[in-house]
Amino acid sequence: MATFFDEVKEMGVKQATIAKVDDVVERVTAGMNINDVRAMLRGDEPRRPNPRLRPHADSFWLHIRPSFYHTEVTHIYPTFRLGWLSTFMFVWETITGIFLMVFYTPSPEVAYQDMWNIMSGVPLGQLMRDMHRIGAEVMVLVVALHMLRTFVTGSYKKPRQFTWFTGMILLVLTLVLSFSGYLLPWDQLAYWAVTVAVSAAESQPGPEFLGRNINLLLRGAPVIGAGGLLRFYLLHVLLLPLLAGIFIFVHYYKVVIHGHSLPPGREAIGEDTAKRVPKAERVYFLPDIMTSEVMWTALTTLGLIGGSAFFFDAVIESHADPLITPLHVVAPWYLSWSQGWLKWIFPNPFTGGEFDSKVVVAFGIIPILALAFTIMPYVEVGRSRRYADRRVGLSVGMFFIAFMLVSNWMGSPEYKVQSSAEQEVAQHILPQEGHSILLEVPYEELAAGTYLPNQVLPGREHLTHALAEFEVALREYSCTNEGDDRFEPCQPYQSDQGTRFSNSAHTEVLPDPYAALVITQVQHNVYELELVFKTDDPENPVDFHFTKYRHEDAAYEVY
Amino acid sequence: MQVKLVITTIAFMLTMIVFGYAALREPARMELFEGAYESRQVEFGASIYYSNCATCHGQEGKAELCYDAEGEQIGCAGRSLHNAELLCGEPSPRLVAMGWENGTKAGFINATVNAGRAQNGMPLWGADYGGPLEDYEVENVTNFVLNWETVELCSEPTAPAPVWPDDVADLPSGDAANGEQLYQVTYGCAACHGQIDQEGTNAVGPWAGAFKNRADAQPGYTAAEYLYESILLPSAYISPECPTGPCAGPPSAMPNNFPLRMTIQEMSDMMAYLLETSEFESNGNAIVYP
Repeated sequence: MATFFDEVKEMGVKQATIAKVDDVVERVTAGMNINDVRAMLRGDEPRRPNPRLRPHADSFWLHIRPSFYHTEVTHIYPTFRLGWLSTFMFVWETITGIFLMVFYTPSPEVAYQDMWNIMSGVPLGQLMRDMHRIGAEVMVLVVALHMLRTFVTGSYKKPRQFTWFTGMILLVLTLVLSFSGYLLPWDQLAYWAVTVAVSAAESQPGPEFLGRNINLLLRGAPVIGAGGLLRFYLLHVLLLPLLAGIFIFVHYYKVVIHGHSLPPGREAIGEDTAKRVPKAERVYFLPDIMTSEVMWTALTTLGLIGGSAFFFDAVIESHADPLITPLHVVAPWYLSWSQGWLKWIFPNPFTGGEFDSKVVVAFGIIPILALAFTIMPYVEVGRSRRYADRRVGLSVGMFFIAFMLVSNWMGSPEYKVQSSAEQEVAQHILPQEGHSILLEVPYEELAAGTYLPNQVLPGREHLTHALAEFEVALREYSCTNEGDDRFEPCQPYQSDQGTRFSNSAHTEVLPDPYAALVITQVQHNVYELELVFKTDDPENPVDFHFTKYRHEDAAYEVY
Repeated sequence: MQVKLVITTIAFMLTMIVFGYAALREPARMELFEGAYESRQVEFGASIYYSNCATCHGQEGKAELCYDAEGEQIGCAGRSLHNAELLCGEPSPRLVAMGWENGTKAGFINATVNAGRAQNGMPLWGADYGGPLEDYEVENVTNFVLNWETVELCSEPTAPAPVWPDDVADLPSGDAANGEQLYQVTYGCAACHGQIDQEGTNAVGPWAGAFKNRADAQPGYTAAEYLYESILLPSAYISPECPTGPCAGPPSAMPNNFPLRMTIQEMSDMMAYLLETSEFESNGNAIVYP
């Protein structure tokens, strides 16, 4: 075989180099030389035999991709690119996740500090964290929409039942992946969300030792500590991504085997013509699908990076504390529906009492729903995929979505959760966790003193705004017996604890309260912010103080 | 396809611009976060301090303003933390005094909070030692205490610790009215030793009303010498007359930091109140405070 030097002797340096580069390109693309690549990007017709088909036969990366698609499935409708987008998000999460792994140690001793170090000590660290977090939420949304689309176009029907089945597994893996990442920052949000979710396992209706042991397996100890954190970490970075990776390949293999289903109206009822693509309707992967995917990659990346850089900040709360449950612990939005169901009452017709809602939800409704979804394509075997023939099925589907949205709202504290009125008012401007109107007041505007709701302080607009919000919340949770025109008149009623008062918005409110914000300087750069609530109600006197501290450099304004 | 390639190129360039903008902004952003973690530790430490420590160490950490759960002012049982002795200098005078001159202030405070100081009545707090606070909480409260260090605090001339006379006869004459205030409120002695006019009101230590008759407790001591020694060196002699029998110790359960907190005049005032005399009788016994 001729070496490069032999070729130089024979052809000269220039020609030999061109020939060598051409050779390298052909090897890398598994069959296309420089001219083929250039012709492809120019949009020329391929030469015969078509070199653009060879990579599908010989290269690793393209051998699983079809060499052509039906033109009907290459538009936005019917796929909306959601399956591709799900895969993209998985890759996105892997890349940003590996970056974060470098700066994270799964130990309760340092995990929380690591989060702050990622934000203060790692260049682009906060951006990576935001990108990972926003990616997780987008991925859940995209996967759910992908499932909805598959349902609406009837693409789960024969022969694609098993594809749907693997899709269900991927949906569950996505939810668990997203949720297992929740614990890792080791803040209050993480700790309590996971504690609540894991405690559902304990409620299982079988023998007691079963629940105890499931719990031990998940938490690594009776309460979540170093062992539990390590387990969730390994689930999050190792086991679940591995399983998801495997099932993504199975899922995609099935997609390729059966072809992308055409829009329902495009084929005769009961037929599946996805694999019989007439020559005139073929769109070849190289170059059209590839450039399309490159474009969507660029656009999605831009959207996610832009969103993380300018519009989205992943939260971090205080250090996890097993002894303090923050007011209003909520599940992440994509699991909020289950929290809503936990608030329901399930009457027991046999005893006249009620079932434990945890048991009913975690071991009744959710498994039944999951099973129903999984076996749906094997049970719902109507032959037509056309919308007009599936009025009942689509109506049930739409009703289910509405039901889930309402359930999600029920999961929020607005539904059936109210602590005492003074706590709700305090929570409005100075919550135990999360963004606080009062803490975000710039440090320079703070000064020792007693401030009343609605007080106007010239030159201190943020504090004035916070005091105005204080008044708004106070009015919502107060009433008057003394004709104070700030508040609604009290509507007294009798309860177990004596006379209570309600207004039009809430059943338990403060009668003619005194409320104030007391700011005290406790150190040269630390103020104490104390909310004080008092009522003279003889049967239920309130004297409530809620305190937080504000350090000059705590950076609440930016975070 | 050409349109797609153009869109791709533009999107890629915009991504790089956003990324570049974020990268340029990074130093400023990281600086904003620079002290944020430590600041939040101080804030969290403040809430721990005010719910656990202020009862003994005072509202401003100066062991001056202490309140019980009902909001009544009581004597401060703890040391002052907000002072130059503890916080100023590397090592600070307090560290040198405690043999910690090769360590850090943070380490010293952390260790003290964690393990307590049993002989002085400081409870242990660290969870590893059987207390209620986790490591990160001890670290937070340590950072809160260290945050009292300011340029002003450390540039003030420090008041020298009193040099206690060896003979009670050398104490100035006392003012019993001020002594009562010191006994009842400032140093909170009544919480343990009770009221001098009511026998049996002492909760922990010997009854204060008996001090003026205690000339015989230590051989050859006058009542004044005995009382003076008991305040300066609580463990020198353990009284057999606590409410539940002989008092515990040595070391005595009584805080041994009064010589650091009181002035010589306050000592005289307090003794004048307890002994009901403004001049102190001496048998010439030398009471040497180290």
